[in-house]
Amino acid sequence: MFTTHSRLDAVKPDPGMDTYWAGLDGGAFGDQLGYGYMNPNPDQRLLVQGNSSLVSVSVSPKKRKAADIKGQSLQVVSDKEKKIKGCSEGESRTTNQNSNNKEASTNTSSKEKSKISEVQKPDYIHVRAHRGQATDSHSLAERVRREKISERMKYLQDLVPGCNKITGKAGMLDEIINYVQSLQKQVEFLSMKLATVNPGLDFNVDNVFAKEIFQSSTSDFPALGCSSVNSVYYQLNSMDQVVSYCGLDMGINSAETGLRRSISAPISGPETFMDSSCFNQVQPTTNWDADLQNLYKMEFEQETLIPFQSHQFTGSNEGSNMKPES
Amino acid sequence: MHTSSTLKKEFLKKWIKGLQICCSSNKKMDLMERKKKIKLSADIAMASAKNPATSWSNALISEAKKNKQDTILVNSLLGTESDLKPQKNTDRIISVHKRVQYKKILKRSCNAGKRMNKKKNLVATILAKRLVKKRTKVLKRLVPGGESMNEFSLIKEAMDYMLSLKVQVDVMRSVVTAAEVLSEDKLMKLVE
Repeated sequence: MFTTHSRLDAVKPDPGMDTYWAGLDGGAFGDQLGYGYMNPNPDQRLLVQGNSSLVSVSVSPKKRKAADIKGQSLQVVSDKEKKIKGCSEGESRTTNQNSNNKEASTNTSSKEKSKISEVQKPDYIHVRAHRGQATDSHSLAERVRREKISERMKYLQDLVPGCNKITGKAGMLDEIINYVQSLQKQVEFLSMKLATVNPGLDFNVDNVFAKEIFQSSTSDFPALGCSSVNSVYYQLNSMDQVVSYCGLDMGINSAETGLRRSISAPISGPETFMDSSCFNQVQPTTNWDADLQNLYKMEFEQETLIPFQSHQFTGSNEGSNMKPES
Repeated sequence: MHTSSTLKKEFLKKWIKGLQICCSSNKKMDLMERKKKIKLSADIAMASAKNPATSWSNALISEAKKNKQDTILVNSLLGTESDLKPQKNTDRIISVHKRVQYKKILKRSCNAGKRMNKKKNLVATILAKRLVKKRTKVLKRLVPGGESMNEFSLIKEAMDYMLSLKVQVDVMRSVVTAAEVLSEDKLMKLVE
């Protein structure tokens, strides 16, 4: 899911321009100058599609600092940390740009970087200051940081249900806190419930299999109401019946044909069952957007969650978060 | 790119394994203990089901390891991966972060007077910032391992944690309903 981009063209200072600006990427700013910057993903894979040149106008040599940042090609970074020039910030593994921008802005060396185009520093990002804004390195870094945070807040808005109308960091944080707290409480409650329900904690083979199937069935047949599945399950109490239950639903999902075969095979223990091919066949969709739809549908059953719309996420924001699992 | 259902299955697998380990010990546990064990095994299963690259999962696991009572359970769940290194890293990161924070506080108190002139709506911005800070502090406490993160990665970790909590809740819910149904059946049979 990496995308690379072409290097930006050579940058040369244009003494004719009056305004001094450094480029900021973040979709928030309108493209006053006609640059095409895409929204970065929360995983900070900045896709920069600029083939126009970023001009660093330096009226005085002191302003060359910002010129260091601009005009450098940005390669999309992987999740690994990259350390540049001995910058030893232990930033999070995904956000190189944060550390790099700060490092660049604190790089007060008076190196002449007019030949930036030739140097491929992979981890600098472009910061554009609009007219009338502060242009010293610290505020640039600050602004970039703020932009990134607000970007992530937007994604969070999509995650947390019922957050579409709230803008502003404080409100969003409040909602997030409430949601995480409620989820944690749910976990506590459910574990307590399980402790009461199953006093023996005897997870024998039969029990386990039944649960597996219940689990897989709920995730694969989201169209079925939870209650209907419950009622069907209630009538079945043995392995054979469960098998037949699954068999009934074969017509619904042809991908499940392997399920019956694997269940009817002699089972020697929960481990083998779990490793059976049924799980591999269970989720055919690799499009995580569709899978989120499954999640959403399941959550319609839950009274605690407000049904929320499924947005079109850009790129791989969730996928990138989950990506290291592979 | 992992779908959530794969995660669910991973989690379920590990959780059931942990629960089996729990009940294989012959101790008689009262309700609260049982609940704690269940929750602990669920948490650890969750944390290990995700790639240990996410920092909150590491923090969860390291915290659980510190508690000596549960190390057996934890170790058996995790297998032979005894991750002492991430623990050291987090400790170091926490101390470094605290040092940085102290320095920031010092700087702020020095520079407090200088910046007042630039901002309009002084009171409003100050209040807003305070609110945000309060809430980030709360969030840091909520997310495991959140103390040692800057604001930026905190949000990402919170997102991650939220997602996995959702998964955890879903799986647990279905397991609980299944167990309920089963026990009801047993009761009915006994009555008859």
